[in-house]
Amino acid sequence: MMVKRPLVSVVDDSESVRESLPDLLGELGYSVRAFSSAEEFLASDCVGETRCLILDIVMPGMTGPDLQLELMVRGQEIPIIFVTAQSDESVRTRLLELGAVDCLFKPFSDTALCEALNAAFRVS
Amino acid sequence: MIRTQDHQPQQNAEYSYDYEAKDHPCDGSLSGYPSRRFLPFGAGRRAKLPGFEAASGGSHTGREAGLNLDRLICDEVAENDCSSERHIGLLPPRHRDRNGAAAEDRAATWVGPSFAEVAAKVGGLIRQGFPLPVVLTTLCQHFDATVHGCYSSVLLLDRTGTRVRNAAGPGLPASYVKQLEGRRVRWAETRVGAAINAKTPVIVLHPDDDTLREEVPPAAAPGLKLRETSPILSLTGEPLGIFAVYQRESKTDHPRFHSAHIAQFTNLASAAIERMRSDEALKRSDEALKRSAALLEKTQQLSSTCCFSWRAETDEISWSKELGQLFELDAVDVPVTLELIGTRVHPEDRPSFHEMIERARSGVSDFEFEHRLLLPDNSVKYLHVVAHRTRDQEGELEYIGAVQDVTHRRHAEEALAKLRAELARAARVASLGVLTAAIAHEVNQPLAGIVTNAGMCRRMLGVDPPDIERARESASRTIRDAERASEVIKRLRALFCNKGVTCESLDLNEATREVAALSLSELERNKVIVRMELAGELPPVQGDRVQLQQVILNLLLNASDAMSGIDDHPRQLVIRTERDEEDHVQLSVRDTGVGFEPRGADRLFDAFYTTKSSGMGIGLSVSRSIVESHKGRLWATPNDGPGATFSFSIPSGPMTAAVTGARSFGAIRTSTATAAEERHVRSL
Repeated sequence: MMVKRPLVSVVDDSESVRESLPDLLGELGYSVRAFSSAEEFLASDCVGETRCLILDIVMPGMTGPDLQLELMVRGQEIPIIFVTAQSDESVRTRLLELGAVDCLFKPFSDTALCEALNAAFRVS
Repeated sequence: MIRTQDHQPQQNAEYSYDYEAKDHPCDGSLSGYPSRRFLPFGAGRRAKLPGFEAASGGSHTGREAGLNLDRLICDEVAENDCSSERHIGLLPPRHRDRNGAAAEDRAATWVGPSFAEVAAKVGGLIRQGFPLPVVLTTLCQHFDATVHGCYSSVLLLDRTGTRVRNAAGPGLPASYVKQLEGRRVRWAETRVGAAINAKTPVIVLHPDDDTLREEVPPAAAPGLKLRETSPILSLTGEPLGIFAVYQRESKTDHPRFHSAHIAQFTNLASAAIERMRSDEALKRSDEALKRSAALLEKTQQLSSTCCFSWRAETDEISWSKELGQLFELDAVDVPVTLELIGTRVHPEDRPSFHEMIERARSGVSDFEFEHRLLLPDNSVKYLHVVAHRTRDQEGELEYIGAVQDVTHRRHAEEALAKLRAELARAARVASLGVLTAAIAHEVNQPLAGIVTNAGMCRRMLGVDPPDIERARESASRTIRDAERASEVIKRLRALFCNKGVTCESLDLNEATREVAALSLSELERNKVIVRMELAGELPPVQGDRVQLQQVILNLLLNASDAMSGIDDHPRQLVIRTERDEEDHVQLSVRDTGVGFEPRGADRLFDAFYTTKSSGMGIGLSVSRSIVESHKGRLWATPNDGPGATFSFSIPSGPMTAAVTGARSFGAIRTSTATAAEERHVRSL
């Protein structure tokens, strides 16, 4: 019996990220779904199944932190790894305080991503 | 009793007379001359004169009385001996007294130099430039020496004719003369006043009975009695002063015996005073002329303005000393010519200078132009020349002009333009600061892809056996992301590189899209919904792409800022381009933000006016100057609903005069505003 690979959802409006990350995550042994906005993710049937969320901060419409809050409200405790193109340490600190597993500044290495994922799955 | 003739009361008469003869022994003989009873009288008061009593009746001015009566009285005094009566007579003024003077000459006793000699001597003093008091004192001394037992004085009237000035009386006690100085002439009450008022000599026949008071109590001149006051009149009949003669009390000579002398000396005094006054007037007008010339010179210095005249037909030029100095031709001892001036004109401006000369020579109109000078020390001066076309006395074409050295102003303008350019750059930097995060965002996105893809690629090559196909896919994605990054950098370069002003044909839609693409993330972060309504076919405009994009960026960021506090309705931003009338292309940015007070509309574009807590208040002012330098305009209108719309409109089509900057400095000017704009464009 094949062990079901944990689902990692990527929510990012950047096409570059949506193109490159799923391939790498798949290689790392996860099943992956990519969404271009928070709204799209919430509307999908993946919310409950997602074991880790790789989430962009700045997006048109609902932002990453908005989604984080929404999930808290819904009682969905999904470990979140924020990825952002803006190197703002204060934002990172605040997000970690709110319970994020990590906050990676783009561009990030695959090693950094692996560490964050490991941390996320330790939490879960 | 004789009533005076009825006279119409004079409304403005300063002095009125109102007499009626009463109980006068001469009444019978005088009845034919009713007006003789007019004597000067102070305003609003009535005189009580010996032999005359005032009564209600007609009014007269003293002038009329004097003019009408003097001859009659003179004759009457001479022919009818009324001396037994208390009497004050009126004698004719000097220029009307031939009969009377002739009668009196018989009794005159003349000693010392002849009158002609005295006159020559006094004239000599005047010519030698002695002051008037000295001249008049000498005159008095001669009179005193001539007429034994009499002492004369000259009392000049001040400009108002109401006060005594420069009293001269060498034979009188100094304290007495001093008391006369500055004394007010009381027209009716004193003999001086009476003589001046009637313009006729007043002779005191019987001093003891005289009720007309003297200017100064007689006690000041012990032993002397005033016997005659003779008015010194100008040729036009204006009173200049009084020649007054005093006699020792012990002398019993009837002063009328000396009336001829008195008249002559009065004449001489009159001539001397008039001569001195006309000399003074000449001197004053000469001084006024000098002062006016000095003033002009000073004004020219202050305004750095010089003047010239140029007869276009003969090329005769005369110019002020300052203009010579300006051209540094003041040391050259040759006549000024156009050729000479031409040597100083800046070589680059010579063609336009000569063109201007030719146009002016054809006499078309006034002219105004600017050109530069290149001086021997290689310094450059900027001149502003304005000339008015006129005809000289011979009817020849002549230009009268002013030349202003505007070098300082020009330098100031250049400095100002430079400052504005710096300000524009500062605004750009400020915008850049606001956008830094967005730029980082834009660049980091493809970079993230690149790094991830490269990492993936390495993994695929590291497995055994290497998964070449997936490695190739990752490498391809890496290349695509790198191209995306490169595109971002290109857009940034286009917007923020500090290159000079260029003028190119550009598509406003495309320029707008570029700016919108760059600022989109910033707008999105601010939850702004952007809608683009770009016109399908827009004619190209000529201008500086970077500058115009700067303006668009400013408008977008302003709109975004205006909506940052809006939560009760969507933050909507519409960027719209369209072709408006007159072949202009218009871009408008409409927001649903806080809008602006209609009263503040004028201030929106002022430098350093801002409603934002973090704004510098230079964005809109710089934007406006950029748009205006493109011959366009930038304005703001409040929306019907919430928010405001900022729009600019610039001409489309071929190169416009404003942005070519090709007009040479020396060109004949039509509008200073245009030139200023031009310089601004060139310097930005």
